Amino acid sequence: MPAITLSGVVKNYAGGHAAVKDLDLTVPDGSFTCLLGPSGCGKTTTLRMIAGLEQPTRGEITVGDRVLDSVERGVYVPPEKRAMGLVFQNYALWPHLTVRGNTEFGLRMRKVPAAERAARAKEALEKVHVADCMDRYPSQLSGGQQQRVALARMLAVDPDVLLLDEPLSNLDARLRLEMRAELKRIHEETGATIVFVTHDQMEAMTMATHIAVMSGGELQQVAPPMEMYARPANRFVAEFVGSPPMNIVPAAGPEPGGLAGSLLRFAGKRGDMGAPGCAGVRPEALRLAREAGAVPDAAWSEDAVVETVLPTGASWTVELRVLGTRMFAITHDDPEAGPGDTLRCWTRPENLHLFAEDGTRTTAWDESVAPVSGAAS
Amino acid sequence: MAVAASARPASRGRRALYRARVLLRDPTVLLGILMCLVLLYLVIAPLISVISDAGRVQYGDEARSGQRTGSWTSYYLWRVFRSPVSHLLFWEPLWHTALVAAGVVAFALAVGGSMAWLVTRTNVPGRRFLASALVVPYMLPSWTFALAWLALFKNDRSGGQVGYLQGAGIRTPDWLAYGPLPIVVTLGLHYYPFVLLLFGNALRRIDSQLEDSARILGAGGRTVLRRVTLPLMMPALSSAVLLVLGRVLGTFGTPYILGLPSDYNVLSTSLYRAIRDRSTGVASTLAGVIVLVGVLVVLIDTRLVREQRRFVTVGGKGAMDRRGDLRRWRWPACALAMAVFAASVVAPVATLLLSTVTKTPGVFSFDNFTLKYWFGSHIPGAVGFPHGVLRGGELWEAAWNSLRIVGLASLVCGLLGLLIGYVVVRGDGTRVSMFLRQVSFLPYLVPGIAFAAACLSLFAVRRGPVPALYGTVTLLVLVLVITHLPYSSRSGISAMMQLGREPEEAAQISGARWPVRMLRIIIPIQRGALVTGVVLPFVSGLKELSIVIMLTTSGTQLLTTLSIGLVDYGYTQLANGVVLVIALLSFTMTYLAQRLTRSSLASGIGG
Repeated sequence: MPAITLSGVVKNYAGGHAAVKDLDLTVPDGSFTCLLGPSGCGKTTTLRMIAGLEQPTRGEITVGDRVLDSVERGVYVPPEKRAMGLVFQNYALWPHLTVRGNTEFGLRMRKVPAAERAARAKEALEKVHVADCMDRYPSQLSGGQQQRVALARMLAVDPDVLLLDEPLSNLDARLRLEMRAELKRIHEETGATIVFVTHDQMEAMTMATHIAVMSGGELQQVAPPMEMYARPANRFVAEFVGSPPMNIVPAAGPEPGGLAGSLLRFAGKRGDMGAPGCAGVRPEALRLAREAGAVPDAAWSEDAVVETVLPTGASWTVELRVLGTRMFAITHDDPEAGPGDTLRCWTRPENLHLFAEDGTRTTAWDESVAPVSGAAS
Repeated sequence: MAVAASARPASRGRRALYRARVLLRDPTVLLGILMCLVLLYLVIAPLISVISDAGRVQYGDEARSGQRTGSWTSYYLWRVFRSPVSHLLFWEPLWHTALVAAGVVAFALAVGGSMAWLVTRTNVPGRRFLASALVVPYMLPSWTFALAWLALFKNDRSGGQVGYLQGAGIRTPDWLAYGPLPIVVTLGLHYYPFVLLLFGNALRRIDSQLEDSARILGAGGRTVLRRVTLPLMMPALSSAVLLVLGRVLGTFGTPYILGLPSDYNVLSTSLYRAIRDRSTGVASTLAGVIVLVGVLVVLIDTRLVREQRRFVTVGGKGAMDRRGDLRRWRWPACALAMAVFAASVVAPVATLLLSTVTKTPGVFSFDNFTLKYWFGSHIPGAVGFPHGVLRGGELWEAAWNSLRIVGLASLVCGLLGLLIGYVVVRGDGTRVSMFLRQVSFLPYLVPGIAFAAACLSLFAVRRGPVPALYGTVTLLVLVLVITHLPYSSRSGISAMMQLGREPEEAAQISGARWPVRMLRIIIPIQRGALVTGVVLPFVSGLKELSIVIMLTTSGTQLLTTLSIGLVDYGYTQLANGVVLVIALLSFTMTYLAQRLTRSSLASGIGG
């Protein structure tokens, strides 16, 4: 299975809007890579360029050792010759063809004989559990079934590269959960290189082997999900990945007071801290204690006034005011506190993230100490 | 390897090569350019030609203008705007046009607006019937009403048979028989369905939550109407007004039939007269003025429509039928609506029908009835058409011509419209796309009769490899295609918009080349839109007169021109008979088309 390489890819639309700015990205072969970012960050444009539906203004796209696009060398392979699969956000099933017709279309284009075509279409539909709707038209299917047929249509031709453009965004919550597991299974079964576009960080975290976060047409970070979660490369990634998002405390000036001052002084105690622009703590890393004595020795801690408590069933989200700044904490034990109560909030030093003024991560201490992820801490 | 390549400075030539490869792989671009050329030739060139004709000395005018044929001159401008005859040629018709347009708009607004309100927002009895019955006048040729009017009110001032009233011994004054009053009323009866449909649609689409919110905040029924409903209706209302205005500007049949006997000229009849008199320069100038006014009207309209779109997005979820209770006014309201239906459909059709079976109008004795105007083999005194309408070959030949020419034009139109839609949507945002979208809509701005004059100016003589087309079927087809292109291209564009590019892209990803994508995906999916794009021009083309009146010759007689010819001869019963045939054909076709395409007429009117 091939790796996909984008080098120096730029995409400018007519009117000067730059959708993608100088993108260098390698999608490892056989990986399930998520392009993650807010809407308008260029992730769908990137996917469509890989598919050949859009053409880069500059740069080169290769799959394996086959050059698909190279503006500089004048090489262009049209989408119909790229032999990839692409599942659209709105499925784009052909309304005038039955499920069978939709699924067999790609095989027909590849001049596969009728008997084999039928068998492979059936196999693909079975893989996504919709083989019993073979003779129905797309309009007679539910949203979830349409989604599966759209996937089967692309799986039938057995592509090395499968591209998915927010395929789950039109499904309801339960179906989405089901399809996530399904997609992960299909990835393991086929071994295809999958590029998946989403703006849902949860989707990216749960399915991907690699996440590439984009923002404003630029690549922010590429890393396996847990690594990205533990060591976000910059403030944007830190805030975008994780739900609820990381508590970010901006430091005003070189000698900040309040919560920022408290966090930075604590970090400064432990070594050369540079000049960070802000400090961050993930909500689940922010722990609550009833009294100061229950806080571990090496931890940072401050008094926190409870503002609201939002139980979700599995956990409690607690809105706190710490030294005048609002913070969120997630706890799996009943905080047994109500609005106005004062608690002690604390966190371990390795859960403290520091970002410089330009947003890049700065290290306050030796990161070879394995960071403790939220759930384990 | 890849990194090394991108580090190499890219040469301009390589980049051009890349672009060329992309373009060649994507036929949309080539198709788009081809379409642009076709539209340039069919839409832009005639307009340029007619404008240039207005500024150059025409054959035969050398002595009067004192210049040689073909040289630039302001003679025609002078003649139309400043000369002693300018009053007759231009100023008076302009004033008449304005008067008639204002009258028709007021009439259509009053009738159409109140009827729209009745059928959409009240519990008037027979709502469903009225909703479709009140649209019927639009399905009849507009000058049906004019002929019916003459059959009732014509006096002995002009030749031919007199009307019923005169026949019964009641003298009808000229102002009632001819001129502005009858023109306004008959055109108003034909055009009020425009207002009914556009205004009614907007009323239906309005989000009732908007009205409810005002109520909850304490506004009374009247305040809601004044402060919420009517302001929301304004765009639809003004759009309807401008649409009617534009149509009246280019309409020919009614002012010709009702205005001619009393020398009441409007711009379109003045233009027709100039063309018939072979004063091409004057005709071109007049056509130019009509084009200008038409463009102005529609420019204002598009502005308002843009605003309307903004409004429409407000509607949607809460939009539903909500009807006020008329209480004791229910039956009077119903009677009023029925009266409108009677006046606009029953009365004209019955009058015409009656006139074709009576020898002398207004006399209802048994021996006065006859079927000879339909089936007779010999009608004394009728030279050139000495037999019943259904006898002899004339009617059948004209009907065959109508079906053949209009049918061919509609087919071309539908296909062209879908292709334009395809290119516009595929190339969304590009210059080609914008150009096609606008130019294919351009004929909508130009009143039909002015466009016919423009086409006559370009295609009537031999130009380069294109032979002179005057009097040919080709010219008629061309003009019908161009003038109906806005409907087809709009239907094509909206259908392709709705479909989006994804289904084709999915096929492309699946390995389908362009021809396969077109034949296997796009055209099968767009079957319905294609049918609509063919049927709408067909229905409207069948009853078209303004556009074809100057282009037909004895060899290419259509039903509509045949009927006007009979009017010119003064063969009232025969002319009425032919119009009834057209009305029947047009009504049946519209009805079938609606059933077939499940489209509402409103979308056809909105373009």
